[in-house]
Amino acid sequence: MSGPPQRPVADATVRLRSLVVPARIELRDVSKTFGPLDALAPVTFDVADGETVTLLGPSGCGKTTLLRLIAGLETPTTGAIAVNGMTPSEARRHKQIGFIPQSPALLPWRTVEANARLLLDINRSASPTSPSASVTELLDEVGLSDFHHAYPHELSGGMQQRVGLVRAFALDAPILLMDEPFAALDEMTRTDMRHLLGKLAEPLGTTVVFVTHSIPEATFLSDRVAVMSARPGRVTEDITIELAHPRLPDLEDTDDFFHVTTRLRAALSAGMDR
Amino acid sequence: MKPSVRRVVAPVVGIVAFLILWEAAVEVFDIRRFILLPPSSIIDTLSESPGFYWDNALITIRHVVVGMSMALTLAIVVGSFMAASRFVEEATQPVLVLVLVTPWVAYITSVVLWLGKGDPSIYFMVAFTSFPVFTFGVVGGMKSADPAARELLRSVDARPWEVLWRLRLPSALPSIFTTARFAIGLGLAAAYFSEGSALTSDGLGAIGRRAASFNEAEVLWTTIVCAALLGIAGLTFVSVLERILLKWHVSQRS
Repeated sequence: MSGPPQRPVADATVRLRSLVVPARIELRDVSKTFGPLDALAPVTFDVADGETVTLLGPSGCGKTTLLRLIAGLETPTTGAIAVNGMTPSEARRHKQIGFIPQSPALLPWRTVEANARLLLDINRSASPTSPSASVTELLDEVGLSDFHHAYPHELSGGMQQRVGLVRAFALDAPILLMDEPFAALDEMTRTDMRHLLGKLAEPLGTTVVFVTHSIPEATFLSDRVAVMSARPGRVTEDITIELAHPRLPDLEDTDDFFHVTTRLRAALSAGMDR
Repeated sequence: MKPSVRRVVAPVVGIVAFLILWEAAVEVFDIRRFILLPPSSIIDTLSESPGFYWDNALITIRHVVVGMSMALTLAIVVGSFMAASRFVEEATQPVLVLVLVTPWVAYITSVVLWLGKGDPSIYFMVAFTSFPVFTFGVVGGMKSADPAARELLRSVDARPWEVLWRLRLPSALPSIFTTARFAIGLGLAAAYFSEGSALTSDGLGAIGRRAASFNEAEVLWTTIVCAALLGIAGLTFVSVLERILLKWHVSQRS
């Protein structure tokens, strides 16, 4: 991808989209308690079609809980969630959601290619006519062309997480939910991974909800960042990231990027003090 | 010495040393023949009619393989339910422990009266003794499946049989292989005793029982050694199979 930044056009598109495109994900006063523990205070926000929204907050603030609620892996204590107009469980059943957990969760007995194909195989057994995405091409695109037949233990942490990304993208689900997928990686690999994720996700227009506590990750990948306070987590600020698309690695060396990270850091600190 | 050479030479040296000590102990302490025969006598007896012992060993192998296959199949079915439901697990566990700790030899007569003489009683006894061990292995292995992978499959609404087939069963393989090693010893002992008690005329246990009745120490000890060799062969087979099927597992990587 190359060419001049298209910021005005991109910004206008996002604004226009928010006016005319119905929200993919709607949360209304969603809260969650685990026994006596208030994990999440009532949260209300929307994610528009094709938007990448990051949940940014300190450890234990309920980001993952919120993501799991959207995925239908937990049930809210109060409030309602709609995913494409359905309940999260229905959306899951209709194969609307791709989920990327914190660990790559590769099955050690399957090769890289078989792991990347896992969710696709499951979907196909449920609906044999569902289309087959090109796992091979995706693996090549993420730089794993020489590792199709390798086993997960033969890969580095970053390579394993790439397989996890391919596995999720191969599903071709309209919504991707990502739970700190790069948390266990070293800083260099982590940087590479966010660039790779941007490269994969942007052209597809997938709706992404991304959980992280990394400010550069949130800045680089997001259209909007929902900053969360410490437990019980609530959204303290909803910040639109005014950076042009497509986002390329060079963006991280610009003043604009630096200003956004500073703004997010301040919002995060303010949220923790509240 | 290279590790690959050492792995072959060391066990051979150990076994030869053990046989020499055994031979010498029988000679030096003048042990009565029925209590313990020297290995040279056992080798002589075996070499006189190897076909006879081989044919009977094959029958014992069939009893062990069929009985253990029944036990493993049932253990996978029961274990799957136990791993999927805490209630089923807690309800089933005491029964399995009861089966495991009760002296199974005591059941043989009742089983023969129930199922009749011959193969069915022997298959049942082999399956009965190895079933609890296999089940505990299956449950432990299935429950050790990566929680993140379980969550991942849940996120695409995978059906229970798919979770079982694609995740839980492969996750249980390492512990199934571990328990198979114990189960072989139990199954072989059950087959040997049951053959001697199930009014059958074939199998190492039946010959051993007959030899004991007629004071034929050579034959008795030859069946014991044959049974031990079967055990070693069984364990070797499990190890080879484990090496092939679990090449991805940390235990099989150097």
